[in-house]
Amino acid sequence: MSLLEVRNVSKSYGSGHASVTALSDVSFVLDEGRLLAVLGPSGSGKTTLLSIIAGLLRPTSGQIIIDGKPIHLRSNREAAAFRRSRVGLVFQDHHLVHYLTAKENLLLVPHLSGRIQHQHRELASSLLGEFGLEARANHTPSMLSGGERQRVAIARALMNEPRIMLVDEPTSNLDTERGRQVVEMLSRHISGREMTCVMVTHDPRMAEAADEALHLIDGRVHSADAEGVLASAP
Amino acid sequence: MLPTDILLIHASMIACTPRVTDSANIGTRLLIDARSGMLAVKELLGSKLKFGLIALAIGLVVSLTLLMAAMSEGLLTGMTGAKGSLAGDALVFQGDTYPILERSVLSAEDLQRIASAEGVANSYGIGHVIVSVNSTDEPFDARVFGLGDRFDQLPLVEGDLVSGPGQAVIDVTAKVTGVGIGDTLGLTPIDEELDVVGITEDRQYVMTPAVYVDLPTWERLYLVTALGRMQDAEGHGAPEPELLARQVSGSASIAAVELEEGFTLERLASELGSDFVVVTPEEAALAGNGMPEMVVAIGGIQVVSLAIGALIVGVFSYITTLHKTGQIAAIKALGASNGYVYRQLLVQITLLVPVASAFGLAMTLGASLSMPPTMGLEPQPERWAITLVLVYIMAYLGSLFSLRSILAIDPATALDRAEH
Ligand SMILES: Nc1ncnc2c1ncn2[C@@H]1O[C@H](COP(=O)(O)OP(=O)(O)OP(=O)(O)O)[C@@H](O)[C@H]1O
Ligand SMILES: [Mg+2]
Repeated sequence: MSLLEVRNVSKSYGSGHASVTALSDVSFVLDEGRLLAVLGPSGSGKTTLLSIIAGLLRPTSGQIIIDGKPIHLRSNREAAAFRRSRVGLVFQDHHLVHYLTAKENLLLVPHLSGRIQHQHRELASSLLGEFGLEARANHTPSMLSGGERQRVAIARALMNEPRIMLVDEPTSNLDTERGRQVVEMLSRHISGREMTCVMVTHDPRMAEAADEALHLIDGRVHSADAEGVLASAP
Repeated sequence: MLPTDILLIHASMIACTPRVTDSANIGTRLLIDARSGMLAVKELLGSKLKFGLIALAIGLVVSLTLLMAAMSEGLLTGMTGAKGSLAGDALVFQGDTYPILERSVLSAEDLQRIASAEGVANSYGIGHVIVSVNSTDEPFDARVFGLGDRFDQLPLVEGDLVSGPGQAVIDVTAKVTGVGIGDTLGLTPIDEELDVVGITEDRQYVMTPAVYVDLPTWERLYLVTALGRMQDAEGHGAPEPELLARQVSGSASIAAVELEEGFTLERLASELGSDFVVVTPEEAALAGNGMPEMVVAIGGIQVVSLAIGALIVGVFSYITTLHKTGQIAAIKALGASNGYVYRQLLVQITLLVPVASAFGLAMTLGASLSMPPTMGLEPQPERWAITLVLVYIMAYLGSLFSLRSILAIDPATALDRAEH
């Protein structure tokens, strides 16, 4: 069974004259262990799609099914609990807490769920190791390079061992080489694990490390590469 | 096992289970609270300058409130200390003249009537007259109080109580003009003299030191002052001194009364009728001389300064909240509740207020060193505790400003919003 299923999702902002259609009739499915790159020009609806999957926005119509359960029907509170336990979020502007060290930023995730335990500290150390940040564990974000910050942000998103990672423009503040490194690390982490990842990017070179790609133009699926991705009717 | 035993076990399980989980829940909730505090503390420590400045601003308000309180205390003592501390359950003024002590006159018959009224256990006359002391380096005005009894009501700082005519106990504030025990005060223009035998404290009236003498001495001073004033006004035609002396003899300005057990002021007032006004010394102290207006004004300044404090906390917490909108949106996107974010702010306020109050107290003590001793700040743990509580209340009220903006932050804005 597929882990993530997006069914005929449409989203309009505002109403009447001021109404903007950000997404129309977007559908696709994604299996475990896969990294999907969502590509498209500015304003094509990439972030809107990500926000809807995260439960931060409600679709105007359509359904989001994760592990066979609809998540678009949840209340804000339920959606927040769902994000705490099942979702890893990486923001374009890393949004690390500036007065916490790298490791403390990772521990923020179990902290928000109520308790930091020994196993969380071990997980944080091993994730920092995996992303090449052992030596940076006690540094605050201002002491880190852009690439390091983005890697800390990705490691933080993995702290709750999410079923689904949602990543928005992780490389837009990085040069191509560093960006590619970050995406490759992410891809390596996901493959073979019981999770999946949707990564938004406007840079086709970043999509090379992804298993699948979805092109959005004006809120519609323009093309989908690789099997498992269903394109909506053009 | 009997069926009833099974029922009992079931009943006890039903009764116990929820309690166990409840207390476990409360336990974890407290732990979560303690940890959410740790994040708030980390932020405080990470921005010492910012939070230090906020604490300083709140501290200024605290010190303003404390100074106002000290000043009102000082003013109250300076204006009416001598009046408010007169020993007795009630003071009796001449009708129509209340609350003006300077105009009240009670004749010997009046005093007799008061002394023999129902419910009066004890009473004594109190005379009042204004004099000028000219024998010192610095001439000053003083308020003479003639006491018919109860000299023991004066707290002695030095020397002895009045034991005969011509002797005086004087308030300690007169010492700045060079007056000491054993000195003779020369009074002008009446050409009388008083021997200082004792020094008392907190006994001032209308910002001048009180001078306590016995009633016959007061009578003499009053008589010559009254005669002098009448001659001044007319230049001639003063009443026969003997006639006036007869009128003044045995009189006083007001009377102090000790009531019998269970007898009320109201009953004494109705007993004495409209020729007299009966009030407590505290009431009398707060009446006249512009005291009601002053008390309202100082109280108003204190309330306003607390309101400004609430506004400062509010504006500061509002601005810091706005400043970290992105951060808060991100934490909310990660699954933090509004309650969690607001709790952080509350923890920070709870930690800031004592620091701010300590600043405020230090500033107040510093400022009070440069004030006249009568307005100095005496240690008043009770008043400081009340101020601390008020500051907490205003700080929490101020934090409500931010609650609104915290609620308004949409976690969806954390995605794809680069804030540079
Ligand atoms: N809150 C909003 N209110 C109104 N319109 C919005 C809102 N958010 C997005 N839009 C509009 O929806 C459309 C899709 O926006 P979205 O942010 O999803 O695009 P994007 O593909 O992420 O673009 P970019 O690459 O620039 O980040 C755009 O036309 C945008 O102007
Ligand atoms: Mg976007």
